[in-house]
Amino acid sequence: MDFTLLVFGDDGWGDEMLRGALMTMVVAVCSYLLGVVIGIFFASLKLSQLVVLRYVADFYTTVIRGIPELLVIYLVFFGGGALLRSVASGLFGYEGYIDLPLFITGVICIGVSAGAYNTEVIRGAVLAVPVGQIEAAKAIGMSTSKRFWRILVPQVSRYALPGLANVWQLTLKETSLISVIGLVEIMRSAQVASGSTKEPFTFYLTAAILYLGLTSISNRGFLRAEAWASKGVRYS
Amino acid sequence: MKRLSIVLMTLVATMFAGQSIAGSWSKIRIATEGAYAPWNFTDSSGKLVGFELDLAQDLCKRMNAECEIVAQAWDGIIPALQAGKYDAIMAGMSITDKRKKVITFSRNYAATPARFVVSDKSPMANFKTGVEAMNLNEIDAKEKAAIDDIVMQFKGKTIGVQTSTTHENFLREYLGNDVTIRTYDTQENLDLDLQAGRVDTALASMSYWVPLFDSDKGEGMKMVGPGMTGGPFGHGVGVGIRQKDQDLADMFSTAINGAIADGTVSKLAIKWFGFDASSKQ
Repeated sequence: MDFTLLVFGDDGWGDEMLRGALMTMVVAVCSYLLGVVIGIFFASLKLSQLVVLRYVADFYTTVIRGIPELLVIYLVFFGGGALLRSVASGLFGYEGYIDLPLFITGVICIGVSAGAYNTEVIRGAVLAVPVGQIEAAKAIGMSTSKRFWRILVPQVSRYALPGLANVWQLTLKETSLISVIGLVEIMRSAQVASGSTKEPFTFYLTAAILYLGLTSISNRGFLRAEAWASKGVRYS
Repeated sequence: MKRLSIVLMTLVATMFAGQSIAGSWSKIRIATEGAYAPWNFTDSSGKLVGFELDLAQDLCKRMNAECEIVAQAWDGIIPALQAGKYDAIMAGMSITDKRKKVITFSRNYAATPARFVVSDKSPMANFKTGVEAMNLNEIDAKEKAAIDDIVMQFKGKTIGVQTSTTHENFLREYLGNDVTIRTYDTQENLDLDLQAGRVDTALASMSYWVPLFDSDKGEGMKMVGPGMTGGPFGHGVGVGIRQKDQDLADMFSTAINGAIADGTVSKLAIKWFGFDASSKQ
C-alpha cells in the first residue's frame, strides 16, 4: 500500500477520489429526491380506491424490487439511447446520434429503484395512522386539505423517516453500480486509479473509507430529522 | 406542427449534443477502458494516456478523421458499441473467435510475443535463432529454420508452461514429441520451479516477463530465442468495430498497415511497453 499516491494535484489521486465522492453524493441526492417523488406518487396509487391504479403500482414495485439493480442500469443504459433515437427518427425524422447523458441515465436508474422501496415505506406509514383520527377530524369538520396537512403529514413523516433513512443508505451504496456505465463516481475513480497504478488496495480502501464517511454523516442528519419529527411524542 | 417538430428536434439535438456521422467517418468516437496500464490508463492528473491513446491519435491523423476518445468501463464495452455509444474500441482487446461472432475487428496492431526464459547459468543462456521475431501464421524459410533450431535446442529437456494457455497449445503442437511438457496452475509456481532448476525453460508472454525482470523477482532468469506470435498464439490485439461498419474496420486496417510500415507502432510500443509489441506485416 502506498498512501503517497493520494496527494492532491497533478501528482496524486487525492483530488480524483474526492471528485468521485462529490459525484457519488450528487447522484445519490438527485436519485433519492426522484425516488421520494416517485414513492409518494405510487404510494398514493396503492392507497387509491381504483383497482386499476393499485395494479399499476403493484406492478411497478414488484418488477423493480424483483430484478437486480444492475439489470435496470443495463436496460436504461443500452435501451434508453436506442429508445430515444427511435423516437427522434420516428416522430421528428432526425437520423443523427443522440443519447441520454450519463448523469441522467444514472439518476434515473437509481431513482427508479429507490422509488419502489420508498413506495412501500410511505404506504406503510400512511396505513399506520389510525383510521379513528381521520374520522375524528372529519367529525369536527376539518376540510380534506387540513386533514392532510395537520393529521396525515406530521404522523406519516414520523412513521416513514426510519424506513426512508434505510432507503437513503441503500441508494448511496447502489450508486457504486453505475460505475459500469463509466460515470466517474467513487467506485469508477478507484477502479481507474488502481488499474493505472497497479495499487488496488490503496484505492479500494480509500473508497471504502469515503463511503463510510458519507453514510455515517448522512445517518446523523436522519437521526436529527427523526428526533424533530417525534418531538410531539413522549416516550415513557 | 412542422414548426413545432423542428423546434423540438433542435432542442433535443442540442440537449444531447449528438453528431450525425452517416457513412463518411469524418468523426470517429473511440472507447477505451482507461484502467489497463500501459495499454490505456489515466494519469494522476486525470488525463487518458497510454500506448493506445498515442496510437489512436496517429491513426486518426492517417484517416483524416476527427476522433473523440471516451472512457468506458470494461464491463459492457462491447454492448455499448452495439448500442451505438461509440464507433470503435481500442482497449487492449484480443481478437478472438468468440468476439468475432458479435463484432468485427481491424487488423491487429499489437501482439505481445511469447518468449522462452532460462536460468542465466544455463548452457542455453545464449540461445539465439536466425530471426528475432516470427509470426507463425505464415512461416517463411528463415522462420522454418528458427523453429528447427528451437526443437534441436530443447530436445529431451523439460519445459514448464501455465496450463490452458495459448503457450501450452504451442508447445503441444510444435514440440510435443521432443520435450517433456510440465504444466502449472499459476505462472508464479512455474517461476519458482525454474529458479529451483526443476524445469529447464519456461514459456510465457513477454508482457509478463518484462515487468518481472524490471522488479527484483526476476533475478537469475534470462529471455532467449525469438519472440513468437500468430498461429496457436492467437490473432493479437485489434480495433473492435460493429459488424455493419466493415468500411470503418477497413479504414483502420489501412491506417494500421501504414503505421506498422513506417515504424510508428514499434516506436510507440517500445515507449510504453519497453519492448516491441507491435504486430508484424
